[in-house]
Amino acid sequence: MENYLANLGVLICVYSILAITLNFIMGYAGIFSLAHAVFFGVGAYTGGFLALNYSSSILVILPAAMITSAALSLLLAIPTLRVRGEYFVAASLGLQILAVTLFTEWKWFTGGIGGLVGIPPISIFGTEIFRPTSFFLVTLVALAVTIAIFGLLVRSNFGRSLRAIRDSESAAAAFGKNVPLIKTVSLAISAALAGMAGALYASYLSFINVESFMLDTSVLIMAMVIIGGTGTQIGPIVGAVVLLSLPSAISYLNFLPQSEIGAIQQIIYGAGMTLLMLFRPGGIVGSGGK
Amino acid sequence: MNYFRNFSAAAAVVALATPAAAEDITIGGLFPFSGTNAVYGDVLSSGAKLAVKHINADKMLSGTLSIAYEDTQALPQPAVVAMQKLVSVLEVPFTLTSFTGVSKAIAPIGARNEVVMINGGGVGPDLAELGEYFWNVIPLANLEVRASVPYVVEALGKTKFALIYVDDPLGGSIRNELEGVLEEIGGDLVSEMSIAPTAQQFSGLAAKVRSSGADAVYIASYGAQQVQIAKQLRDNGVDAQMISYSAYGVPDAMNLPENEGAIFTAQAVTLEASDPVTKRFVEDYKAEFGKDPAPYNVNYYNATMLFAILAQALEAEGKEITGANLLAKRKEMGSFDLVGGNVSFLDNGTLLFPIDVKQIEGGAARTLTTVDIK
Repeated sequence: MENYLANLGVLICVYSILAITLNFIMGYAGIFSLAHAVFFGVGAYTGGFLALNYSSSILVILPAAMITSAALSLLLAIPTLRVRGEYFVAASLGLQILAVTLFTEWKWFTGGIGGLVGIPPISIFGTEIFRPTSFFLVTLVALAVTIAIFGLLVRSNFGRSLRAIRDSESAAAAFGKNVPLIKTVSLAISAALAGMAGALYASYLSFINVESFMLDTSVLIMAMVIIGGTGTQIGPIVGAVVLLSLPSAISYLNFLPQSEIGAIQQIIYGAGMTLLMLFRPGGIVGSGGK
Repeated sequence: MNYFRNFSAAAAVVALATPAAAEDITIGGLFPFSGTNAVYGDVLSSGAKLAVKHINADKMLSGTLSIAYEDTQALPQPAVVAMQKLVSVLEVPFTLTSFTGVSKAIAPIGARNEVVMINGGGVGPDLAELGEYFWNVIPLANLEVRASVPYVVEALGKTKFALIYVDDPLGGSIRNELEGVLEEIGGDLVSEMSIAPTAQQFSGLAAKVRSSGADAVYIASYGAQQVQIAKQLRDNGVDAQMISYSAYGVPDAMNLPENEGAIFTAQAVTLEASDPVTKRFVEDYKAEFGKDPAPYNVNYYNATMLFAILAQALEAEGKEITGANLLAKRKEMGSFDLVGGNVSFLDNGTLLFPIDVKQIEGGAARTLTTVDIK
């Protein structure tokens, strides 16, 4: 039972990091990205590739994954952050589709459709970490670092600038804020931390393929932010906990037929989300008003 | 008070005199019951359900066998959560698995915890490389080449092959196998063309096949794409013999007029066989589900039955039913009487089945020959 809970804990930590990073750009800067799974995937493939071919040291794979994801985010940000609102959503959707094709076709780096198999466990000063309980501690530390970084950022001048851009881009620009630069930096920070989550995910699972980084994942991360509470610090974590533990909890209801549990999960899931959005549109920990 | 004391003493005597009930035995079942591949959940698990019924009716094991089904959605991440539950909470020694991505994701967890995982649905050749705790009760796609290609060369006299293969582990392994087999039997691979998994336009490939002078073309693709390839090859004047593997045994491919005469391979399961295991399976499957069993049903029946055979042997020796003991017992026993006859495992944990070479005639498949793969 301990391992099972630790395993769930690892995934909750990884997805919490992803939700926090998306919340940072979505909730604070108003950048609605449908490509967050791309940054997650780039970090995962970078970490997995390095661990398989060079070193699985945490000091190698995490920085490499973060730099690669941040660099990719610049490629997206520089041309597309000049557009606003729904245009950026469309551009990020395009990147998501493009990335899935690249993940599938760039075989020497991603393993193609077959993915990367047998990724070595992450090592911290020579000690390999692969047991769920030990790995949970690693991801918990990563989550704490992420919370601290974004906590500091949103309370800083930078955070205030982001909120100003979210509320009125034109007004922020009129007050002398360098809107494209602030948006680009925020996206790069967000992508770097999402890349870190990807490297941890790849190391923990020992296997990654394109199925984990498709549009569904981007939508799932966005759902975690919205359900938890957009623009709040604890909301994305609550969203990740709810969306990852609810299906697992339902599978323990022994009176339900096990082979029908998937359909029942989806009914409960869908109904819950609809009711939540009807009666608490700000999310579980967000403001309740419409 | 005396009454209570006497009752307690009597209850204690009865409890000591009554033999302890045998513990129930649980194995895992990782199938997609929701999501885009939900349709496979029931298809893949029905054979296993029938096997459980037979095993319990025959009292093969000391306790009642049951399968703890977990929904994977055919995706790696939910599968890892489900596998951890099976391994850490339910502590199963053995689990049924399906789908390539799912199988690769759970393989390290199974190997670390010494839990046997057995696949009866995926045919990706890399499923043979997931360690000794991962077994396959289905012939993998690369083995099918060893049946069809020699037949086409020797019986039909076609020696110049073109290959169209999807650019993934499946296509790559078929290419490797085809090159090796053709070299062995004196055929030539005159042209090989890789395609993206999402490609749908193949008229250019047809021109290349024509210009290569190939008299046989092997199609290593699946789903809607394989149908498009066949159609566009014929529409663009390719009259070479078309050959493929088990993914061709689906209604879409069989009913395509352009596929008339195409040859494909499939796992040989003689459902008409008179051995008691096959006979009982076929009769009871029809009675239970109202239709003829398909190879997937056979495979998961066999996978579950294999567990019972191994566990029964371990119990007879007084050994615990663990993944490590099941693996050792499989290696010791070597071959097994399952649906389709007596079968044995390769060293890499893949079950060897004879393979049928079939030809499409009027939308149906006619078996040309059955080949024992070595």
